[in-house]
Amino acid sequence: MRDRTPFEPVIQLRHLSDDTKQRIFDAALQVLADVGASVSHPEGVELLVRSGCTLDDSGLLRVPPSAVERALSTVPSSFALYDRSGSQAMTLGGNNVYFGTGSDLMWQYDVETGEHRPSGLDDIARVARVCDGLPNIDFVMSGAYPTDLGPQGVYLATFLTMMRNTTKPLVLVAENEVDLGAIIDTAADLRGGAERLREAPYLLAYVEPVSPLLHPRESIAKLLLCADAGVPVAYVPAPLAGATSPISSGGHVVQGMAECLLGLVVHQLRAPGAPFMFGVNQGSLDMVSGQPSYTAIESFMNYLTIVEMAKWLRLPNWGISGCTDSQAIDAQLGLEVAELTLLSMLLGSNLNHDVGFMGFGLTGSLEEIVITDEFVSMNKKLLSGVPAEDLDLAVEAIAGVGPKGHYLGHPHTRAHLRKGPGQWRPGLLNRDNRDRWVEAGSVDLREKARRKALAILQTDPPAPLDPGLLQRADARMNTLRRETV
Amino acid sequence: MTDIMKDIIAAVIDGEPGPVTTAVSAALEAGEDPESILNDGLTAGMTAVGEMLDQGEIFIPDVLWAAEAMQEGLAVLLPHLAHGVSRSAGTVVIGTVQGDVHDIGKNLVGLMLSGAGFEVRDLGHDVAPEAFVDSVAHNGAGLLGMSAMLTTTMPAMTRTLELLRARGMREKVHVLVGGAPVTQGYADKIGADGWAIDATRAVVVAKELA
Repeated sequence: MRDRTPFEPVIQLRHLSDDTKQRIFDAALQVLADVGASVSHPEGVELLVRSGCTLDDSGLLRVPPSAVERALSTVPSSFALYDRSGSQAMTLGGNNVYFGTGSDLMWQYDVETGEHRPSGLDDIARVARVCDGLPNIDFVMSGAYPTDLGPQGVYLATFLTMMRNTTKPLVLVAENEVDLGAIIDTAADLRGGAERLREAPYLLAYVEPVSPLLHPRESIAKLLLCADAGVPVAYVPAPLAGATSPISSGGHVVQGMAECLLGLVVHQLRAPGAPFMFGVNQGSLDMVSGQPSYTAIESFMNYLTIVEMAKWLRLPNWGISGCTDSQAIDAQLGLEVAELTLLSMLLGSNLNHDVGFMGFGLTGSLEEIVITDEFVSMNKKLLSGVPAEDLDLAVEAIAGVGPKGHYLGHPHTRAHLRKGPGQWRPGLLNRDNRDRWVEAGSVDLREKARRKALAILQTDPPAPLDPGLLQRADARMNTLRRETV
Repeated sequence: MTDIMKDIIAAVIDGEPGPVTTAVSAALEAGEDPESILNDGLTAGMTAVGEMLDQGEIFIPDVLWAAEAMQEGLAVLLPHLAHGVSRSAGTVVIGTVQGDVHDIGKNLVGLMLSGAGFEVRDLGHDVAPEAFVDSVAHNGAGLLGMSAMLTTTMPAMTRTLELLRARGMREKVHVLVGGAPVTQGYADKIGADGWAIDATRAVVVAKELA
């Protein structure tokens, strides 16, 4: 798998003026400088204070605008992720758009039985296998939390399962710097050394502060570990508009940016130039039911602003796609997946996670991953547009056919299909007439997606990993379990 | 299957002008039986093309090009075939009915029928019942295909059927009908012999009736 032609939309969506973006950024700087934040990591605090931040008696740490500007001047505007074999697979930055799953879902719609049941380690393997077989899924997160395992070493076990079942780059969650360290050591072992992993990162770590304005010890510890190892890290708060952040779209983004940018400052102080990903999750709270939502229209509005701010700051961004609030694999799922995924593509959002998420990040569906893959495939064609210099106006063909003729066998038609842009072929979407569709069993989209997922699961898994690598990973697992018991 | 037949089949599938005639000539020079070249080469190639279209592996224009390439190969082969070997699956008269100028679907059916080896007499669009019946009589056609795109023009099919009966020709020709609003139920009601929902199915029905 190689990143020869990253997808970049020709048709793009922007809605904020430069002036508005400057105001949003200034407001985030003001929050950092005047309100400050609570940072529960002594070493991180020391690093910040040594660099001009101030710590008051109540424990609030305030970050001057100059510290943020300095961090923005050292952070790279793009970085690459590499697959298991060490080939470059993704170039994150600019308007390059990539898709992958999310992590830690507690429930699954079982692809074989349709049953809604708790997730297990096997589901992580299935998600990875299905993603490995889908051309428009670029990276893999676990897709499931292994509720069948004890709590120790869960994320290392998750990582090993993913690594066995897909060769695509991985995005990982970890409990703290200890298990993340074991994961990074294993990735370095795969590469043949820490320096080689730094040159060709196989994974990106996903780390969250806690809204509003809290930076737990573990979050900062993981962030610093990634900075030290040169492992790309996304430091992404998940403020819920109306609950843990202001309800207004602007306020949500301002607070989220202040949280993310504090992470950027400490990360770049530790390792200037280390790869860092900007992001704010876009959730909002339903103010009647109290239910959080990923796909409420207000969440989408927050999302537009967040991605535009990332572009304005010239930072690779953390995005979201292929996700629904629906509890069923139904038409709501289809339309929410479609709208969110299309927005990400139009925005040129870089790393779009949560493909396969249902019911506010609690249930996973392989069908949803397969459906999103098809949707992305189709819209890559749409959003690639028609380059002006390649516009084929076909006047000769029109003259050749004339009135009453047809183009079915015309050389122009054939050349277009065979050597030119061709015609996008659906893999799941129905184009059959009624009779053919009925003859084929009247199969709907959900069932087609289910069958495709099952078919991928029947294919050969990726080549096995070196047994020595796995033995050494097991040793790390044993150490991890001893240390945390 | 010999490599020579595989070459012919591949050339038919590819559909470019030239290679099929070269492959057929080579087969003749190698002493292959002309009947075998027809059946195991050219016809087998067109069968493969039909299957590939059905599987969505190729496009409609590829079928048309393959059919033309096959015809070129057939022209080389014909003088070598024993007298009486039929090169045609039968003659079909087709057209869009009176009052209707929509003909892309009918064109598609005609091209597919040609590809399947039928002699196709395409009368175009806005074809009067008399024109259909005269052409069937003149060409000795065993099949008549009528297309209508509009619910308002469908009744013209009935008038053609009535004229066939009035001239005592109804038993000599199988009548196929089609077009977006035309259903199997409508075909049954007006007394047509066959109906198909699309062009590839029309070929199947035509072969059954021929």
